[in-house]
Amino acid sequence: MRHGEGHNHGRHHPPGYASQLTFVTAGLVPIMAFFAVFAFAPIVYVVYLSLHRYNQLAPTAPFIGLGNYQFAFVKDPYFRNALANTLKYAFVAVPLNLVIALPVALGLNQVKRFRAVFRSAFFLPAIASAVAVSLIWRTIYDPQAGWLNGLFSAIGLPQHAWLNDPKTVLWAVMVAAVWQDLGYNILILLAGLQTIPEDFYDASKVDGAGPWDRFVGITMPLLSRTLVFVTVLTLVSYLQQFTHVAVMPTQPGGPIHSAETMVLYIYDKGFSSLQMGYASALSIVLMAIIMLVTLAQLRLLRARWEY
Amino acid sequence: MATTVAASTAPPGRTWRRIGAAVLYVAFAVATIVFVSPLFLMLSDAFKTTAEIVQSPPSLLPATPSLANFQTVLAETPYFVWYRNSLVVALAVTILAMFTSALGGYIFAKFDFPGKTPLFLLVLATMMIPFPVLLIPTYLIANKLGILNTLWALILPGVVSAFGIFLLRQFIGGIPNDLIEAARLDGASEFAIFARIVVPLVRPALAALGVFTFLASWNDYLWPLVAINDMDKSTLPLALAFFNTARSQRYDLIMAAAAMAVVPVLIVFLIFQRQIVKALVLAGMK
Repeated sequence: MRHGEGHNHGRHHPPGYASQLTFVTAGLVPIMAFFAVFAFAPIVYVVYLSLHRYNQLAPTAPFIGLGNYQFAFVKDPYFRNALANTLKYAFVAVPLNLVIALPVALGLNQVKRFRAVFRSAFFLPAIASAVAVSLIWRTIYDPQAGWLNGLFSAIGLPQHAWLNDPKTVLWAVMVAAVWQDLGYNILILLAGLQTIPEDFYDASKVDGAGPWDRFVGITMPLLSRTLVFVTVLTLVSYLQQFTHVAVMPTQPGGPIHSAETMVLYIYDKGFSSLQMGYASALSIVLMAIIMLVTLAQLRLLRARWEY
Repeated sequence: MATTVAASTAPPGRTWRRIGAAVLYVAFAVATIVFVSPLFLMLSDAFKTTAEIVQSPPSLLPATPSLANFQTVLAETPYFVWYRNSLVVALAVTILAMFTSALGGYIFAKFDFPGKTPLFLLVLATMMIPFPVLLIPTYLIANKLGILNTLWALILPGVVSAFGIFLLRQFIGGIPNDLIEAARLDGASEFAIFARIVVPLVRPALAALGVFTFLASWNDYLWPLVAINDMDKSTLPLALAFFNTARSQRYDLIMAAAAMAVVPVLIVFLIFQRQIVKALVLAGMK
C-alpha cells in the first residue's frame, strides 16, 4: 500500500495494510463525493444544458444540438458586445496592471527601509471586497460631489459623468479594478525579484554594465518566469470580470450594455431571462476562451524554459 | 557630522546613489499616499453629514465629524446579522477546506491505491475551470439539494478545494517516508500520524491556504448573489450591494456601511501583515 518500500515486505501486503486501506477509503470517499457534486457534476451538466433549450419554468427542455452556440455567434449582438467588452477589458487591464506593478516591484526591491510599509499599503485594497471597492469608486466618480470631478475642476479640466457615459464607463471601472488588485502582482513580482542572487548584479557591475544593461540582461530573463505566471493569472481573472461592472455603474453593465462583460451577460441570461440553456452555452464559450489563453501562455512558458 | 564628511569625500557615484535613494523614498511616499487615498476618502465620507456629502467640490475632511451615519446603518439594517453570516461562512469554509486539503493532499502524496493517478488528474482538471462557468449548473444542483437561500449553499461548495489538495500534496510530498513509517512501527494510528506528524509539518502551507480561502469566501459576491434571496441570510458583500441600490443617493450612509465591513479586515491584515504576505507569496509561487 505504501509506496517505495517493497524491499521490506516483498509482494505481500505489509502489516497495517488494512488500517491504511480504511484510512484512505474513509478520507477520500467523502472528499471525492464533494468533488462529484460540486465539480464533476456541474461540468457535465453545463455541457448538457448548453445543448438544450432549458428554461427553469418551461415544462420541457428540448435538445437543440449546437443551436444555442449558433444563436450566440450568428444572431445575438449582445453576446458579441459582451465578448468584445470582455476582451477589450482584459487585454487593456492586464498590461495596465503590469506596467504599474513591475516598476513598483523593482523600486520596492531597491528600497531597504520601510519596504514592508509600502508593500502593505499597496496591498490594502486587495484585502477589501470587490463590492466595497466598487462603492468607494462610485462615490469618487460621482458627477457632482465626486472627488475626480472636484480634482478636474480644480486644475481646469472639463468635468465628466464617468460612469454614465457609454464611452468611459468600462475604462472607469477598469481603473478601480486594477487599483484593487495591483498589490497582489506587486507581491508576487517582488518575491520573484528577491530570488535573483545579488552576486549576479555585482558581477555585471564589475564588467561595467549600467543599470539598463543589468535590467535587460539579468532582471528580465530571470524574472520572466514569474512575469508569465503573473500575466496568465491576471488575464484569467480579468476575463471573469463581474463584480465591479455589476456594482459600480447605476445600471449593472453600464448604460446601453457598454460595460457588460461575459460573466455579467451569463448571469443576466441565466437569472433574469431564465434562459439557462443559452447561458450555459455562453459559459462554455467563456471557458474555451480562458483555456485557449492559458494553454497559449503555458506553451510560451515551456518554449522558453525547457530545452 | 560624520555622514556629511563621508558624503563630501565619497566618490561622485556614491553621492548620486544617495540622491537616487532619496528620490526613490520620496516617490514611494507620495505614491503610497495617492494610492491609499480612496480608502481615506471612504472613511472621511463616512463621518460627514448629509449636507456636507453633497457639497461640490467635496471637502477633504468632515467639517463636523459625526457617528450619525454608522448609527443610521446599524438601526436601519440587520448589519450584525450580515457580519455573523459572513464570519460563519468564511470560517466554516476555511476550516473545512484546510482539513480536506491536508487529508486529500496526504493521501495523494503518501499512499498507493488503484485509480490514484486518474483520480488526482480529475481533481487537478477542475482547477482549470473557473467558477462563473459552473454558475448555472451549481445553482440548479443547489436547488435540487434544497440548500438555496441557506448558508449551507455558501458553505458546502467550498468544503473541498482542488487548489488546496494540489498545494498540500506538493508540501507533504517533501516529508520523508521514514518519519511516517517510524510512527507506524511505534503503533500510531493512521489518523494520529496524519494529525500529529503530517499536519504540524505543513503548517505554513496550511496557513497560506487558510488566508486565501478566507479572503475569497469573505469577499465573494457572484455566488451569494444567485444563492441567497433573504436579507437575513445575506453576507456582507451581497448586503452592501443591496444597500447601495436601496440608498443610492446617500453616499454618507453607503461609505459608513462599507467602512464597517472593510476596516476590521484591514486592521487584522495590518496586525498579521508579515505572516499574511508570506502566506500569499508561498501559495502564489507554488
